[in-house]
Amino acid sequence: MLLAVFMYTAVTAFVVFSLGKARQYARHPLANRWELYPVPGEPGVSYGGSYYEEAEWWTRPRQISRAGQYGAVLQEMLFMKSLFVNQRKFWWFSYPMHLGIYLLGLFTLLLLAGAVTEMFGMPLTASDGVSSHTWAALVYWATAVAGFAGIFLTTCGSAALLINRVADGTLRKYTTGAEYFNLFFILAAAVSGLVAWSTDPGFNYNRGVVAAMLAFAPVRAGLPLTVHLVLFGALLIYIPRTKMSHYIGKYFAYHKVLWDNEPNLKGSALERIVEKNLVNRPRDGWSSPHTKSTETGKS
Amino acid sequence: MDKLKPHDMSRPPAEQLASLDHLMPLPPPYDKQDMEPGLKPVKDTWRETYCTSLDGFVGNDNLKRPGSKSEEEEFINKFLSGLDKLFARETNSGFLTPFNLAFEYCARCGVCSEACHVFQASGGKEVYRPLFRSDTLRRLYKSYKKQGRPAARFTGGSVGINAEALLRLGELAYRCNLCRRCAQTCPLGLDNSVIAREIRALFSMEMGMAPTLLHERGTVLQLKTGSSTGMNKNAFLDNIEFIEEDLYERLGKKYKFPIDKKGADILLIHNAGEFLSWPDNPAAFAILFTEAGLDWTMSSELAGYDAVNYGIWYDDAQARKISLAQRRAARELGVRRIVIGECGHAHRAAAVSSDRLAVGEDNIPRESSFPILQDIVRSGAIKFDPLRNNFPVTLHDPCNIVRSMGVVMPQRQILRALCPQFREMAPHGVNNYCCGGGGGFAVMRNMNFPEWEMKVSARMKFKQILEAFQDKIEDPTIPKYICAPCSNCKGAFRDMLNYYQATARFNVQYGGIVELMVNAMAMFDRPYFEWLEEF
Repeated sequence: MLLAVFMYTAVTAFVVFSLGKARQYARHPLANRWELYPVPGEPGVSYGGSYYEEAEWWTRPRQISRAGQYGAVLQEMLFMKSLFVNQRKFWWFSYPMHLGIYLLGLFTLLLLAGAVTEMFGMPLTASDGVSSHTWAALVYWATAVAGFAGIFLTTCGSAALLINRVADGTLRKYTTGAEYFNLFFILAAAVSGLVAWSTDPGFNYNRGVVAAMLAFAPVRAGLPLTVHLVLFGALLIYIPRTKMSHYIGKYFAYHKVLWDNEPNLKGSALERIVEKNLVNRPRDGWSSPHTKSTETGKS
Repeated sequence: MDKLKPHDMSRPPAEQLASLDHLMPLPPPYDKQDMEPGLKPVKDTWRETYCTSLDGFVGNDNLKRPGSKSEEEEFINKFLSGLDKLFARETNSGFLTPFNLAFEYCARCGVCSEACHVFQASGGKEVYRPLFRSDTLRRLYKSYKKQGRPAARFTGGSVGINAEALLRLGELAYRCNLCRRCAQTCPLGLDNSVIAREIRALFSMEMGMAPTLLHERGTVLQLKTGSSTGMNKNAFLDNIEFIEEDLYERLGKKYKFPIDKKGADILLIHNAGEFLSWPDNPAAFAILFTEAGLDWTMSSELAGYDAVNYGIWYDDAQARKISLAQRRAARELGVRRIVIGECGHAHRAAAVSSDRLAVGEDNIPRESSFPILQDIVRSGAIKFDPLRNNFPVTLHDPCNIVRSMGVVMPQRQILRALCPQFREMAPHGVNNYCCGGGGGFAVMRNMNFPEWEMKVSARMKFKQILEAFQDKIEDPTIPKYICAPCSNCKGAFRDMLNYYQATARFNVQYGGIVELMVNAMAMFDRPYFEWLEEF
């Protein structure tokens, strides 16, 4: 039961800490505009143009392509396009790890689907192998492929990133102990997953763990799986407290800084927020005398 | 490989961390020996007073060495108190999000270094790596917050906090042009320039240490006299009168600058440096706006005739005050819109940086002059003869207008229409390189800093120019024109062409876009460029 409680705690901590981090940034005061072109969704995105390219831009309806925005987000999320374009070598190390993590997310959903399927009386396996039922077989094989690919890619990627950081003199110079530890932690969790997989290639025990958690029943797992679950759970608790929570940071970096070119038009909702901000702006924070003065030279 | 690490920033003052040897090579004809001036030695008195222990140059002349132990302690304490304020919503609301993100999430992948012209032009000096600067700040902060604890070392807090480290960091904040090219390549969308800018802000707003030419003789002077040049209302009006007379003598037609015309459609604001250094530029605007029949005016009120806002480079308080003074000048005239002349940082300061600083009556629309100029060409309101500009022309993209504001095509369309030999630099548009004068460097003429600017921060742009004109560069009979639609960029080009003697040796000229437009106007029977009459 202890393992089950730990896993509930880990998942809850991941969600709560991640939301907490997002909330921390979401509660920041409205930032000064600091956009950087190209901004996806702008008509001139192919060369980096903006609405400022038209005379009297504020008199024209803004043209924003939501499809363009979502497309850019997806390219960045799914393929890490920026890294691919600007630092190909690093992409070859980093992308497998991230793709592996995405696949492990999918794997978790498939485990959930498999556990629910079995709870409804349709086992994924039969005494002679995989169930002959199409849905059950599909879930079984999809879980097996996503799970193995996810663990394998995460292991390779994190190992490559770790080795690269140690081997590359420039990276080594700037890498902190915490950053080595982060990569090592991911690698350890992934390797333990590989070991657990070697004893259970169909991930049947993993599915059993999910089923037990859904039923609030004690989790039963062998030593390899227990070690993996402990490491994985600890990683879930740890990630949101570190800069590995960049899945949150990146959202704010793009949507609230680099791509936020919403103009403060007279009478707009944004102007009302700006007004509120200006009213609440503290006026006595910095120490240099010139910051105390509101004098603009005009009497 | 350069072995320098962030924790070396706290080394004793006698140790200079970097020197300018083995810089990025330049293309022909500057690949030959003796084409480039040598470096002047650092004066001993500077070493005693200022921080030359970073790289031998003094960017911030107000960053002076503490004289005693107690002054040193006060210096450090003030820095740490300012550091806390950078992370507080009460004191840093406008930059809290971008600063925190850049501070917290950097993966130290080093992609930014590949994009940074300063790092590349220096031949890869570690001290100029964008990550070196930001990581020094991170490590100082960790050292400060986790003093003595094992966690400090584990998270990178290994930089000793002493006066020398802070002095060097203060100087290092002025080795970044704030061009934001690095941010474009960051896989996490983080911006190293915001860290450089915030270090500058800390030194200015908490410690009162900003370069004289940006602060006392920059923003403070602007708020006192009306212009960072020190030009007051009367001097401004005298200058306008002089320009009007000069135009009449040269072109034989009288043009009158409308001043303080109430209820005009457009308030046109130039960088006031134009009136003193490049009067042909505001004069060309007057010709074009008048001939196109626009309803425009200029203001003679405080800050209403100077679009500059150096505050955006180093100090939020100054930036806000100047921005509001400019808005007030527009409001008092009752104009419908503010149009910014050819000044990059003024574009961004007026249209973008200050966008969320004013509401109601002060919330007057601001826009770039480039789309208006493009419309003039498109509309046919003025007849142009492109053959008058039949010499090689290349375009410099001011970072603030292009990368930070997204105004990319209008200026190109004008040049494509009016300059038969127009050629792009590589790279260009939003991927351009800074002129080297960005972030205030074109203004900071103190001590030996201009030498660093010319050798390092302007080097990549000079390389681009040589490459753009490579087919004609060695023929001095062919004028080659760098179109730089930004006052500070023009300042950098003026100094660059003078430093490398590129005008004297190879007839490389520079100027704005409106001068090219007027030069192509069919109604005038002589060139607008005086240097063109020599050929």
